[in-house]
Amino acid sequence: MWLPVLGLVVGILLGFMSNFSIPDEYSNYLSIAVLAALDTLFGGIRAHLQNIYDEKVFVSGFFFNIILAASLAFLGVHLGVDLYLAAVFAFGVRLFQNIAVIRRILIAKNSTK
Amino acid sequence: MGKKKTLSFTFITMIIGLMLAIQFRSVQTPEVRDTRDTWQLREDLNEEMELKARLIKEIRANEQKLAEYETERKQGQELALKNTLNELKEEAGLTDVTGPGVTIQISKLDDELLLDHLDYTLSPDLLRRLLNELNMYGAKNVSIGGQRVINTTVIREIAGETKINGRSLKNFPLEIRVITETFEDAQELYNRMVVSKAAEEFFIDNLKVNVLEPEMSVTVPAYEDSIRIRNIESVKADKGES
Repeated sequence: MWLPVLGLVVGILLGFMSNFSIPDEYSNYLSIAVLAALDTLFGGIRAHLQNIYDEKVFVSGFFFNIILAASLAFLGVHLGVDLYLAAVFAFGVRLFQNIAVIRRILIAKNSTK
Repeated sequence: MGKKKTLSFTFITMIIGLMLAIQFRSVQTPEVRDTRDTWQLREDLNEEMELKARLIKEIRANEQKLAEYETERKQGQELALKNTLNELKEEAGLTDVTGPGVTIQISKLDDELLLDHLDYTLSPDLLRRLLNELNMYGAKNVSIGGQRVINTTVIREIAGETKINGRSLKNFPLEIRVITETFEDAQELYNRMVVSKAAEEFFIDNLKVNVLEPEMSVTVPAYEDSIRIRNIESVKADKGES
């Protein structure tokens, strides 16, 4: 249970320790990728709590969402339309829904105990 | 939670952490607060101005140097071209030439020696023969009666008058100036001309050939007209090759 949290900490440490930074014009892509990743992560946690977790769906969804979000942002930049907002919106809404579901499940679990 | 599930979660959280950290680092450019007061700002501004002035000076000096080099290079090319041109002109006979040489005077015979009538005709054949002899003995530049002898010089008789480069040779004494490579050559030429047979031939035409002692400095005038070249065209230079 604590291993994923440890992974998060390790990742953050790795990111801060390595002297790696992204040029300004690409920070958009990374931010949307982060959003997609978070969405997938919370989706995974919810699925796990609902016992409908599927390994393949989770991993493939993670990468696919990131790539889709980044390419949407890329397309937006080239079309002159802020398409990445669509991704932000979609992922944001889903993030909230997922977190809400997780909260409800946790509350329900706690109250049944 | 299965082990595999945990591993994949860990993997993905790690990636998310990495991305978050990088995004943080990229977005959060550390804000350096400017705490300098007016005087410090002024001083800094002064320093920067000085730096700017120095840089501008440096740039100017370098540009000047560059321009100097450029002109030097151009002049070098120009100089080489001019030198070549001068050499060619000299070779073609378009310049005055001074050097060691011999002067030959052709004058009328004294009247007492003349048998009957006065007839001073300088025959072109004779002159050509003399010229050939001079060339044979090492003459470099020759002028006859102030006319430079060049490659295209013609000596011929037109309407009873011997002409060189289209100009009559009838003013005696006629001076033939010969320039040689060195003074020794001039001396040798002098010796040969003194005993030359061609000189004797002039006697028949009532003319006297007098070879003067070789001198260190004899001047041969330039060819007066422009050299006309027929049937020769300059090759058009290719573009971009200048």
